[in-house]
Amino acid sequence: MAETAPLWAAVVLPVALVLVAWAAASVDARSAGLGRAVLRLLVQQRRLTRAADVLLVRVGTTLLPVAAVLAAVVLPLGFRSVSDLPDGIVWFNAMEALAWAAVWLTGWGPNSALSLIGGYRFLAQGLAYELPHMLAITTAALGAESLRVGALVDAQAGLWFAVWMPVAFGVYLLSALAMAFWGPFDQPVGTDVAGGAASELAGVDRLLFLGGRWLLFVVAAAFSVPLFLGGGQGPFLPAWAWTVLKTAAVLGLLMWARRRVPTVRMERYVELAWVVLTPLAVAQALVVAVVVLGR
Amino acid sequence: MDLRNRLGRVALDRPAVLLVTAAGATRERLAVEAELARRRWPRASGPAAADLVAFAGAPAPAGDDDWAERLWNGVPAPKARVRVRDPEHAAHALEHGRMALLVGAGTQGRQEQREPAGHERHDADGEHPPQHDGHTASGRSEHDGHTTSGPSEHDGHGHDAHQDHGGSHAGTDQGHHGHGGSHPGTDHDHHGHHMGGAILGLPMAERADDRDGLRLDRLHVPLGPALPDWPAGLVVRTELQGDVVQRASVEALVPPRSSRPAFWSEPWLRSAAGAPVTVDEAARRRCAAHLDSVGRFLAVAGWRDPAAVARRARDQVLGGASVADLRSGLRTLTRRVRRSWTLRWLTSGVGVLSSTQAQRYGVTGPALLADGDAYDRLLVWLEEIDRAVDACDDRSPLASHALNGPRGRIAPEAPASRTLVDVLPVLLEGTEFACARLVVASLDPDLDELAPQHARGGHAHG
Repeated sequence: MAETAPLWAAVVLPVALVLVAWAAASVDARSAGLGRAVLRLLVQQRRLTRAADVLLVRVGTTLLPVAAVLAAVVLPLGFRSVSDLPDGIVWFNAMEALAWAAVWLTGWGPNSALSLIGGYRFLAQGLAYELPHMLAITTAALGAESLRVGALVDAQAGLWFAVWMPVAFGVYLLSALAMAFWGPFDQPVGTDVAGGAASELAGVDRLLFLGGRWLLFVVAAAFSVPLFLGGGQGPFLPAWAWTVLKTAAVLGLLMWARRRVPTVRMERYVELAWVVLTPLAVAQALVVAVVVLGR
Repeated sequence: MDLRNRLGRVALDRPAVLLVTAAGATRERLAVEAELARRRWPRASGPAAADLVAFAGAPAPAGDDDWAERLWNGVPAPKARVRVRDPEHAAHALEHGRMALLVGAGTQGRQEQREPAGHERHDADGEHPPQHDGHTASGRSEHDGHTTSGPSEHDGHGHDAHQDHGGSHAGTDQGHHGHGGSHPGTDHDHHGHHMGGAILGLPMAERADDRDGLRLDRLHVPLGPALPDWPAGLVVRTELQGDVVQRASVEALVPPRSSRPAFWSEPWLRSAAGAPVTVDEAARRRCAAHLDSVGRFLAVAGWRDPAAVARRARDQVLGGASVADLRSGLRTLTRRVRRSWTLRWLTSGVGVLSSTQAQRYGVTGPALLADGDAYDRLLVWLEEIDRAVDACDDRSPLASHALNGPRGRIAPEAPASRTLVDVLPVLLEGTEFACARLVVASLDPDLDELAPQHARGGHAHG
């Protein structure tokens, strides 16, 4: 059922992502003033701190949006993605892990204590969320007996994975927030460290980094649709409309949740992640494996 | 070029404001915060993100470190700064800053791209000498003053005695006023230039054993006086390993002698001095003071939504809203905060201060009543808010004995906030950075109270 989109889709993809991220950020800020904020960063000059490793900062800030767009290559709109790689899930996870490098480099580069703390925090966050996250993704792949995203969507023609793998779905949503260091997981760029990894960034650098974070958030949230919510499957509406609707719903849910919860400190979360979430995710994978073996 | 001008004007029409509050300038801070909320201008969390720096009050240097000037140098162009010395002038000053930015964006902002030499920036505050912000030919703003030769370079010179400390990696702990930490994150950047040795004149970090016995870099990082949601005038000098505070010492920038009593304890101070004060006046001030603290605590905890609600409510209480209006809004807020199990999960066990330990330091008020961690102190604030609202229309005179202000017993010679500052180092040691911020926010000392009453000057050390 899944097919590969024409070549021009590769050009449209980043534009579409930026538009979705723009819409999401406007809704989140409850204002239409986002354009002004972006303009402000465009007219602002870049800034250098003393003994900064400029190359690292530039690489880090640029890597974040690039990683988000690359991860989105396997993201299907309806049943079409830019490239339905045979191991698309591994690709997605690999690209998403680039964010680790991006935030760490950006935090390390400016030679500044608060920025460095932001970098540290993201590494700690990675340690906490990545284990249950991998298990959740693996569980979905197990259910479809394939690493191809298209095959996952096909396998959910009857029943969505979210229905019979609720734990994996929940864990995935948590880790989607964590990998985009957004919402309750925004500690790496928290206000208590005056912006953390982003604290020394100005102008275009800041725009790339914070914009890249929004792209990553949108991509991570949107990927839950083919993974757990049946992708483009649904009655009456065309497949692409279902994808858009479901993605909007997931984004809405996450943005609502963010208003209810303070920033989660990794020092506390890591315990929850390793002691509660990881065993739960393993149990979920086990159940799915048994079901798959039995069918 | 015309288009770029116009874009610049649109962009800077609502500038991002970094509000820097000097010790003793609570009235000015509140006025600026209310005005910013009214104008819906975005707030910057540090100099890098700011277009306009608003100084509430006159920032006092920490020792011989002019941190306010260093902070200003760290703001990328186009930029402007204003000083608010009087709460009534907040709106006017901000408008002035906006105009300065717009004029700068229209003309100067573009000229400097073509003029290689560093040149005078716009300064909305005419009282200062013109500032150089160190533009290089590439149009970047190197805020270490490396390429400038103007008056702003004075943070590099004459500080040789502090060079070791300048990189904030250095050895000894005393006397390093050299990095008062305009914004602690940027403090390595301003010192030690033109120096040989080490790396770019910055000494390398020393090492020491951490709590697990690993040899790790140890950084000397001052927190404050200009961090977001941080008590004005407080400087905590920390030794950090990773993001764990290994050691902390506190320095309070004492506000200048003032004829005005400290804002948050004003009704009780006036009552103690024999002036007639009504119960409702005191209740409103207590309610607003706690709302201010709650807003700060929630902001540090990363819960922006109710933090904004608390601040709005604070402004309403001070603005004289009717008790009926206040009650419903405040009940909703306190109930929402109390019901959050995530907030409880995230803040309990942080900064435990037992009542016996509190008594040993002479702590009174909510911190003593709480007899527990940061979350318990928050609960005491919420309780006192609920109680104070009910007294907001009680016009009877305030009893002038056993006066208890928002932070504890009112005693002009031994202000309650002094004891809160004294207890800080013990609570901070061994905490992780985010916890350290929570501890400070949960005590929220008001350094305005430390303003000298008599001819007691100079710096007090905690």
